[in-house]
Amino acid sequence: MMDTYTRVLEIAAETADEAVAETAVTKLITHLKSAGREKLLPSIAAELRKIAARRRALRPVVEVAHADDERAALLEAKEAGIDARHAVVNPSLISGWRGRTGSVLVDRSGKRALIDIYRNVTS
Amino acid sequence: MESIIKRIEKELESFAPAAGAEETGIVRATGDGIAEIDGLTSAVLSEMVLFDPTFDRTLEDALKDPEPIFGLLLNLEEDGVRAAVLGDASKVYEGMLVRRLGRLLSIPVGDSLIGRVVNPLGEAVDGKGPTGATKQVPIEREAYGVIDRAPVNTPLHTGIKAIDAMIPIGRGQRELIIGDRGTGKTTIAIDTILNQKSESPETRPICIYVAIGQKESKTAKIVAELEEKGAMEYTIVVTAPASSPAAFQFLAPFAGAAIGEHFMEAGKDALVIYDDLSKQAVAYRQLSLLLRRPPGREAYPGDIFYLHSRLLERAAKLSKERGGGSLTALPIIETQEGDVSAYIPTNVISITDGQIFLLADLFNKGMRPAIDVGISVSRVGSSAQTKAMKKVSGKIKLELAQFRELEAFMQFASDLDEETKKRIDAGRRMTEVLKQPDGKPLPFELEAAIIFAATNGYFDSFAPEETSAVERKLQDFLVREAGDVLGAIREKREITEETERLYRELLEKFVERSK
Repeated sequence: MMDTYTRVLEIAAETADEAVAETAVTKLITHLKSAGREKLLPSIAAELRKIAARRRALRPVVEVAHADDERAALLEAKEAGIDARHAVVNPSLISGWRGRTGSVLVDRSGKRALIDIYRNVTS
Repeated sequence: MESIIKRIEKELESFAPAAGAEETGIVRATGDGIAEIDGLTSAVLSEMVLFDPTFDRTLEDALKDPEPIFGLLLNLEEDGVRAAVLGDASKVYEGMLVRRLGRLLSIPVGDSLIGRVVNPLGEAVDGKGPTGATKQVPIEREAYGVIDRAPVNTPLHTGIKAIDAMIPIGRGQRELIIGDRGTGKTTIAIDTILNQKSESPETRPICIYVAIGQKESKTAKIVAELEEKGAMEYTIVVTAPASSPAAFQFLAPFAGAAIGEHFMEAGKDALVIYDDLSKQAVAYRQLSLLLRRPPGREAYPGDIFYLHSRLLERAAKLSKERGGGSLTALPIIETQEGDVSAYIPTNVISITDGQIFLLADLFNKGMRPAIDVGISVSRVGSSAQTKAMKKVSGKIKLELAQFRELEAFMQFASDLDEETKKRIDAGRRMTEVLKQPDGKPLPFELEAAIIFAATNGYFDSFAPEETSAVERKLQDFLVREAGDVLGAIREKREITEETERLYRELLEKFVERSK
């Protein structure tokens, strides 16, 4: 049952209209109270937090090795289908950039290239 | 040092960075060797994935432990996938990046695997370095259809008199070895491998021994025995020990089948031993329950029959057009208290072309191998039996079954008539003749010669309790003085009138001397 409540709120959150989402939450809380099932609320909230974290992980993100490369990296990433507004600086990449959107990853970093060479040489 | 530098320079010259987009997922949860993954929406069932430990580490940290961990996708769900971790599951963590590899689970196969001990992924575990096998084949594939197959018509000699005479196995057959623990199931399998040494190299099958859920010490002992007796020259061992993840134990028989098929498709004969499928079923049950698939009878998943049938269907004798190779399967099943009506034993009995049933009672009475002749059967092997063996072994099975009945009756009757006594003595003698110590398989011509002597009354002048000793003497006598007769049986695969005449003369001489 909890899954169903969570799913209802997830669908409501997907709609662009915030008022619709607000109404859905209010109605659900009223329903749970009247049914004496308020105990489900913390679990529903925890489940929604997990879903939100999962969605955040799937948002477009671009990382660059050096701040100077941000503009070029964002342009290249856009060409590759990753449309992010800003890039995050991640010095561990050594050089180049990498980006993710949904389950698509484009990795043009120096770190990845070095690790691939290392694996090919040592295997 | 120079060679290392050259190797790196060569790699750098040919290196092309992976520029394209790749599909990835993120580990949502992990535990008990199973990972739940978000993403990978286009992945297919049985596809390999790679858990990448280097993604969110610095290069320095990544190179300390750069080994990728492979996974096998077993469940495709609405909001993600579930994969079995094929490696150290403790290194898989929440939020870890998972890459699709775009290929089904495959292993490298090739002639260079012969003599090696590998895991179900084809990686060497014998400390002798990489196997050098390069041809990748999927470990799961559809079995050959009716058109591609030929009838089983060539014998596969086990070197065990009782089996070759009464429950003959043909190349391409699936013969189950079933019995309680400690009744000699593995011994039969190992003796069969050892006996292939007596085959000529052209017709000798490549043997694949798949150890599933066994103690590593037991597998090491078996490998040492095979090495000592020169059988590793034509044997490959696939091992998924009890300490390995359940996924490895579930995959090991399929890896063995894939290796066997490689040789079969090259027109050769191969023999694969699955030791044992009960443990594989238990491993698959564990995986299925962790994957939250609904449990059925004895908590096994609904597709447990299909698991074994699709594996054993891969044993085949191919048609001439397909090269004429064969893959013989000897699956082993362990029963509890001799109960053959349990779920997994009945399943595998119905899939195979016969079974060799080993009884704990017979074993405890000192009968080796402890085969229950009454319910052991080979459904296709008799058409593959040599003329020589067919001629000598005709009525043994019936006579032994009658003897067992009379033996039971004898316990109640105090006074027996002469005819019954004679039959009981004959049964006792035959039982003694069929006894054989572990690790001493006999070449087929010697088996045929001994059984000929037993069925033609040449042991009748000795007391039943002397039969074993006389039989050993006969073996020595035949090896020493009947080279021509044995050679003729081996060559012609039958006992011709002339050979029979010569052999009878020799037997009379032997009986005369031994009295």
